[in-house]
Amino acid sequence: MRAASVRTTAAARICDPRVDPPPGGWAEFADAARPHAVWDPDLLRVEGWLARNPPLLVTVHDTGGIVAALSALVCRPTRSPSYAPRRFRRGPMWVEVSQPWLSGLPGIVWRPGVSGDRLHAAVRSAERVLAQHLGAGLTGVFYRGVGSDLLPELAGRGRIHRRTDSSAVLDNTFADVDEWLASLSKSRRGGLRRHHRRAESDPALVIRGGPGRTDLDAATVAELLNNHRARFAARSGDTRSPITAPYVEAFVRRPDVHTLTYHDTDGRLLALNTLLDHRDVVVKQHWAALPREHGGRSGLYFDAYVRAVRWCIAHRRPRISSGRGKLDVKASLGFTPRVVHGVIAPRPVMGR
Amino acid sequence: MWNSLAFRLWRAAYLRAVSSAFATVPLYRETWALRGRTDPVLVPGKTGTGGGALPADEVHRRLVDTAPLAGGSTEPDPARGLAGLLGHATERRSHRLVVVVDSDVARPPTGLPRGSRGCVLHPDAATAAGDEPVLREIVDTLRRGERVLAVGEAKNLDMLSAELPAELPPPDRVPHHRIDRPGGGPFGLLHDPLLGYLGVLRECGRLHVDRRHVYVRETPGGLAFTVLDRTSPRLVDVLIGGGVPGEVHACPKHASPVIDT
Repeated sequence: MRAASVRTTAAARICDPRVDPPPGGWAEFADAARPHAVWDPDLLRVEGWLARNPPLLVTVHDTGGIVAALSALVCRPTRSPSYAPRRFRRGPMWVEVSQPWLSGLPGIVWRPGVSGDRLHAAVRSAERVLAQHLGAGLTGVFYRGVGSDLLPELAGRGRIHRRTDSSAVLDNTFADVDEWLASLSKSRRGGLRRHHRRAESDPALVIRGGPGRTDLDAATVAELLNNHRARFAARSGDTRSPITAPYVEAFVRRPDVHTLTYHDTDGRLLALNTLLDHRDVVVKQHWAALPREHGGRSGLYFDAYVRAVRWCIAHRRPRISSGRGKLDVKASLGFTPRVVHGVIAPRPVMGR
Repeated sequence: MWNSLAFRLWRAAYLRAVSSAFATVPLYRETWALRGRTDPVLVPGKTGTGGGALPADEVHRRLVDTAPLAGGSTEPDPARGLAGLLGHATERRSHRLVVVVDSDVARPPTGLPRGSRGCVLHPDAATAAGDEPVLREIVDTLRRGERVLAVGEAKNLDMLSAELPAELPPPDRVPHHRIDRPGGGPFGLLHDPLLGYLGVLRECGRLHVDRRHVYVRETPGGLAFTVLDRTSPRLVDVLIGGGVPGEVHACPKHASPVIDT
């Protein structure tokens, strides 16, 4: 009942970024909400064409423009070795509302100032339009990476929510890197200094970093990222597709994507880290490295942390998120766990 | 066009190859989804450059992306399609030994008629001392009075003939033609190191496409060839010889597709 008064004013639309232009009012919404780089409709278009579960961009509009946007991946129980067809097939499916490349963050962004009933109504409106668009085969919606702030708007009667792996967040209250290092344990502090010093002084290591990189070979970057992912057993229910070279090509050229690379003097890419700049939460996103048996170097993982934290302190970004996984290591680097939930809205309660 | 039912079947096989490549093969998905293609257009409004055809050197550079998502070989077979064309390439129906003399061909042709064997001879080995096993096999076969067919570049076939003892009958020969270097008749095979054997020069003097296994279409970049029956590496709309302009039409004598360059 609480959303009844605003339900009539929120109209949801579905945009297939592969073939549809960006939703009306997207530029104004992006200026206001400042979503991370991965939300760019141009990137979603490339990602969608080259994915098995292409993202749909669901936007909810009111008279003031877009209220909220959802990244909705249409997933199926069987994984055929083919890309998603242009038109959705019949058969059982579910929708995952998530941003595949933002670990620990939700697949929903909303306009500043929108909260409570308005956000609740916007999400329900998006669910209704998804049910209408995808038809009888849709079994429900699964929201990933839901934080405690968003949980009340997604949870409700007939819905299931569970805590999942926490994500690691570092609140940037430091004046400089030394202050951050001083907040860590003695052994971790010493290790970080040693790894950073070794990387800096290694004449056989070429370290480059910065936004809008145009000097990178996208195919090499994509290969390193996919090989790195393949070395770790896929989590059950991982619906992400491999990262592709055209996506990387468009992604690393963006001014809000910082890419740190480690090459050897022969030009071989040894490791890389991407950082998504954002006024509220900088995301330390992809990390990939060659294993030692293939010529990789140890300690670069920690060196990348030192550089990321140093950049965030220098640019006064309030928070860094480094996603889920390796929480013990991240805790030793000063990151604190942020509670993350998964919420399931079965078909009968969708939109209610 | 030639016999309309045959054309429609040929065209349908090509459309299946395009559709399957778009759905499962990274190279074509990237190219046609993000840049576009024509005939057929797969993404409304995107027609790409060169009709969506890709130069052979680009395809060769990205062979790893020509395997479907389900997996498969990424190694091209330059001897592909030879067996099916031999019937039209020579007057004699079968040979005891078929020798491919070409530096690009590393594996012998498969699918030869019963009683025929295939082998490969590197052109450098053809001029080496007489201990080359393939040369010995050719000589032994000729000595037994059996027929040998040599296939390859004309200059390589000349070298092979010069290496064989003069008292033996010469092997039959069918020269390779490259699309950018067409030769004269009466016999010849259209060959490309990446796609294999694509067509045959028949007695009418026209270059006939191997329509059971190959489709060819005219694009702004030149004639684009598709191997219809090979799933991996998947080779669709490849511009060979740097992209040679040409036309596809029906042979007035044989009513099957021929190309004019």
